[in-house]
Amino acid sequence: MNPILVLGGGPAGLSATAELASLGAPTLLVERESYLGGNPKRWHYSLLAPDLRPAEEVMDPLLERVTGRPEVELRLGTTLTKAERTATGFSVALRSADTTVTREVSAVVLATGFDHFDSRRKFEYGYGRYPDVLDFKELEGMIHDDKVLRPSDGRPPKRIAWILCVGSRDVQVGNPWCCRMGCAVSIKQAVEIRQKHPEIDAYVYYMDIRTYGLWEDLYWKSMQEYGVKFIRGRIGQVTVAEGGSRLIATGEDTILSRPTEVPFDMIVLASGMEPGTGTKQAAELFGVPVGPEGFLTPRLSDLNPVDSGIPGVFFAGAATGPKAIPDAVTEGMGAALRAFQYARR
Amino acid sequence: MPIVEKSLVRVDRTEKLELEGIDVSGDWNTFLRSRVWTDLDVKVADWVRAQPGGDTIDRCWQCGTCTAGCCMHTDFGLTEFNPRYFIYLAQIGYEEELRRYAHTIWRCVSCNKCVERCPKGVKVEEVVHTIGSYLERTGAAPESPADRFDRAYTENLLNRGILDEAALFRTYERLEGRKTPTRELLRMGLALFTSGRLRTGPFAHRTRGWGKMREVLRARLEEETRQRRVPVPKPPVGAGGGR
Repeated sequence: MNPILVLGGGPAGLSATAELASLGAPTLLVERESYLGGNPKRWHYSLLAPDLRPAEEVMDPLLERVTGRPEVELRLGTTLTKAERTATGFSVALRSADTTVTREVSAVVLATGFDHFDSRRKFEYGYGRYPDVLDFKELEGMIHDDKVLRPSDGRPPKRIAWILCVGSRDVQVGNPWCCRMGCAVSIKQAVEIRQKHPEIDAYVYYMDIRTYGLWEDLYWKSMQEYGVKFIRGRIGQVTVAEGGSRLIATGEDTILSRPTEVPFDMIVLASGMEPGTGTKQAAELFGVPVGPEGFLTPRLSDLNPVDSGIPGVFFAGAATGPKAIPDAVTEGMGAALRAFQYARR
Repeated sequence: MPIVEKSLVRVDRTEKLELEGIDVSGDWNTFLRSRVWTDLDVKVADWVRAQPGGDTIDRCWQCGTCTAGCCMHTDFGLTEFNPRYFIYLAQIGYEEELRRYAHTIWRCVSCNKCVERCPKGVKVEEVVHTIGSYLERTGAAPESPADRFDRAYTENLLNRGILDEAALFRTYERLEGRKTPTRELLRMGLALFTSGRLRTGPFAHRTRGWGKMREVLRARLEEETRQRRVPVPKPPVGAGGGR
């Protein structure tokens, strides 16, 4: 049997690879970056919502399951440049640095994931212009190293605001969908900061809080046990206070029905999820249908969310839409099974 | 468009101004105060949380279930009595706005429907009363006609242990600087007389053995007043946690 190609080494791809290896199927894991672990590793995620477990505790066992296995051939720093259908599956061209090799594979799992929204595109929030306006993926690293300090002057902040739905639910940037993670991750960050530094006041500006399902518990705890405050309203713009370095968040408190201009020491943007560059490339190479949002579209998203409808091509993880790590891991398992069945047919 | 929010109107009034012998006193300018809310403060919420009965304030997520069933708000039509809003103002520390409701906030009749219905387990009735205590202790509430009436009523009652309606009416008129037309007074006097409640002054009703009772009550009232003067205790830094 030719190997099964898993494209992408994030949670979904790692999970698919681990399952395929345990089935004894030869697996070719291709990752664009020089390391495995996807976005959680890239941005040094701190604790993972909703259970507040360290990201390492979740990612390391996944990594262990794929490293040093005879069934798994690992290719880091490698991209896919060509894919052609053959009688037994696909013939793919893999490029790393300046060498390109061609390989025969029997099936493909696309686990190409998402990219964080580039917050500079919401220019009114001043990300990239004001050093104390952070993207929440950067704050993850700060919390991870317990160095939550204002980048402008290195001083600890007294009051932090989170702005939800940055680059999500927003036709102005062309992203009308919900990122599903922004609420939970922002609230989790506020909880982590309040746990370690109760002297810092945490405010979350929201339109709706979408800590769906059992994640609601995190939202409730954040209010009841950690005193995180929630203000309803979407911030319109961020400016810098006159003669000072504090940021001013201008918005409407929709509960007060009143305009507000509140100073903060640090403002954190909950940037949304967009289809990853790898996802867009893979869609073109395999001719996979793409929805209006740019995510890959399963043929039957309810009955079989991991099947592309194209024989031999399967999906896993955030390539098909914003997804939490547990869901990505589950889909990795499902895609591994379907790819295995297809390769053995 | 008429200005609905009268409290925001600020008038520059010149009481007495003469220019070259011509009286030009009056309202020179009318401004609207800015409605921009510029600060968030955890002070009020921290204090409320630290009191017995106020510890569930952090749970509130502003759904409005309490206000929707509140008998003051709905049945009695006192729409400015809005427990959800009081809690929010305390949460974000908007004291200035909260102060406007310093009297209204005590109109709660403790029917406790809000506590029964709150999906988050906020003890709304207790929290609202605690917010009221905060306003009272910080002296945030200016004395209103209702306050003055309460004071006159209490004094009147303490005097003989039974209410002297005619005396209460006289005191209240004096306090408010009001003058009721004679015809109206006659009409009221007749009604009081026929119902046997015009026994005022030396003819007033008395309660037997009231002297001792009065002493006890006075002592208690003084004690309470003294307690109210105690400054608001400062909660420990970062008391944001806890229920």
